[in-house]
Amino acid sequence: MKVLSLYVERDTFIHRLEPITKLLYALISIVITFLFPSITVGAVFVASSLSLAISAKVFKRMILLLNVVLIILLSIVIIQGLFYSKNATPVFKLWGLTFYKEGLLYSLLLIVRVVNMIISFGVLILTTRPSDLVDDLVQKGLSPRFGYVLASVLQIIPQMLSTTSTITDAQRSRGLETEGNLLQRFSAFFALLGPLVLNSLVEARERAMAIEIRGFGVEGKRTFVREIPETKADRWIKVALYVVFTVAVVWRIVLWIM
Amino acid sequence: MDNVSTLSAKISIEHLTYRYPFAKNRSLEDITLSIDAGQSIGIIGRNGAGKSTLCYTLSGLIPRFFHGKIEGSIKIDGEDVPTMSVEKLIRKVGLVLQNPFSQISGAKMTVYEEVAFGLENLGIEKDEMHERIDTVLKQFDLYKKKDKNPFELSGGQLQRLAIASVLALQPEILILDEPTSQLDPCGTTEVFEAISQLKTLGITVIIVEHKFEKLVEYVDKIALLNDGKLVKYDTPEKIFSMPQIEDYGVGQPIYTALCKRMGLKKPNGYYPVSFNETVTLLSGLKMYE
Amino acid sequence: MAKNSKLTTAILVLIPVAVGINYAGKLFASALKLPLWLDSIGTMLSAVLAGPIVGAISGAINNIIYGLTTDPVSFVYSLTSIGIGISVGLLAKAKMFNNAFRTLLSGLIVALVATVISVPINVVFWGGQTGNVWGDALFAFLQSKNVGIWLSSFFDEIVVDLVDKVLCVFITFGIFKALPKTLIYTFKGEE
Repeated sequence: MKVLSLYVERDTFIHRLEPITKLLYALISIVITFLFPSITVGAVFVASSLSLAISAKVFKRMILLLNVVLIILLSIVIIQGLFYSKNATPVFKLWGLTFYKEGLLYSLLLIVRVVNMIISFGVLILTTRPSDLVDDLVQKGLSPRFGYVLASVLQIIPQMLSTTSTITDAQRSRGLETEGNLLQRFSAFFALLGPLVLNSLVEARERAMAIEIRGFGVEGKRTFVREIPETKADRWIKVALYVVFTVAVVWRIVLWIM
Repeated sequence: MDNVSTLSAKISIEHLTYRYPFAKNRSLEDITLSIDAGQSIGIIGRNGAGKSTLCYTLSGLIPRFFHGKIEGSIKIDGEDVPTMSVEKLIRKVGLVLQNPFSQISGAKMTVYEEVAFGLENLGIEKDEMHERIDTVLKQFDLYKKKDKNPFELSGGQLQRLAIASVLALQPEILILDEPTSQLDPCGTTEVFEAISQLKTLGITVIIVEHKFEKLVEYVDKIALLNDGKLVKYDTPEKIFSMPQIEDYGVGQPIYTALCKRMGLKKPNGYYPVSFNETVTLLSGLKMYE
Repeated sequence: MAKNSKLTTAILVLIPVAVGINYAGKLFASALKLPLWLDSIGTMLSAVLAGPIVGAISGAINNIIYGLTTDPVSFVYSLTSIGIGISVGLLAKAKMFNNAFRTLLSGLIVALVATVISVPINVVFWGGQTGNVWGDALFAFLQSKNVGIWLSSFFDEIVVDLVDKVLCVFITFGIFKALPKTLIYTFKGEE
């Protein structure tokens, strides 16, 4: 693992879209599902996000991504189904426990929101080279210094983690107790993390010097070796997203007033 | 205070003294030396002698990155390094550090883009950027690796990438601070081959190095540091022929040690420092027999 | 070499390292089968080294990156990480880590801050749960006893956070005290 990334290399229409277009879709769809406490609205966005994932040929990876939250989603159904404060209408009984309609519907609302969040962001993450997203943001006005942090974090972390196994081995050979009682394992934690922190801070200082020497601190016009293009399709999709978002916000305000 | 000998000098250092913040002792003390344009200079001395500190001062990291007060003066082409604009300084001086891994920006996913990092910072136009990147990658035999992730390279390749990335900025002076100390023998050879190319480019090279047999092949002069002070600044043969050289904890090229043992001096009265010199000397002896 | 800016290059480079330390902490904790996360040591250390703002940025980026690479839900808990970064940074400035008692007190404050920020997020996203088995069992118990959702969620979160954050604070300071002064100085932000 050299880069911390879930990017799946494919050649699809979704892959070719500008990263910011995909980011915008994710953000707007998430905000709208939270603006409206409606299962239908949530389901519409889940369906649309899912169809994007399918057309980007990343459906299988998406399922793996959803697996991460499977258990907590299940526990939401159980706990809300059983204990939701507005529970009144029993639906069915399981092992002597009564599940209620209100709680189950509430858990369904929570689930469509979270699932949409994961799929819509998943489309962005699975179909975009992480450094392209950062480059795109910097080219559209994000501070290049901040962009550097985002881009480097994806490579520095795997680099640091690859040294953890070296440190673990070294400490073990010096007789470090990694299997003993809780106290022994806590002191092992210290002995493992300490050297890692020291080494990586020393390296961080060197890296800071090295990039300063290569003009990182120079303020002025920057150029980009990889320019991220905004296609016609991107412009149309962005316009459509802004329209949908504006309509949703206006509608929401109207609903509040009425 | 300019005298005749420093007027033509590319780099002139006068009475330079520096102490790191929170440090007890001075790392550099009253150093005066000058380096002509196009010269190659070696810096030697034991650990803590001030070699890296001198490199950081020359490249402007002191006082911009490491604060603290600099006394004396350090000038490149008559311009004061500590107060020169960063942009100008970067176009004058490049620096390559010890650890090949920590010099990678970390923000770029390919070797090609890694070289572009510095060029982007300086706002070099795209066409010129591509041209410069292609040139340095070919020069240091990295062109075939251009689409690889930098972290997949070997230590020797990474160090060549570091040199290429700095040279793409086209500095007039290149400083290398122990560029091979963390490399295996194979990587060391690779890097020294790269360094030997630098001479043909006509840029001034300053190199800190413990592998003296290699060092003496490239440098015109050597600065010997001890406890932050400049002990001697002279040609390699004069430096290593000093009777008290061992006292400074730096060792000497194996050929010099050998010839000292055998009492073999060159006609000019100094001991040889390189393999070739030694061979010439020995074959000369044979002829007299 | 950026002048006047608090976010010096050294600090910008420190941020990815802080996030990496968080990851490593989590990795070591699970490798040693410790019953805790211990995944905010890097955020805390960056806050102690370079101040509350840098702590907040490290925390936020930690969750953004975790969200981008492992679990998208982590995005929304950026707020909690920001809170941890800021509170540790401020406590360090107030010399609240000078002795063991003060450090313990600081740990409790950080745990409280983390909980107070997490609870509304838990309520909005998960109907009050945290995803931690022990905490959620307590949550279910309290809900069945008709304790309000906010209070139930508060207890759910704090049982998990209390031990974890107090330990993280102690470990962070143990490590910080052992770092060489010349290294610490490089990452100092505010002068």
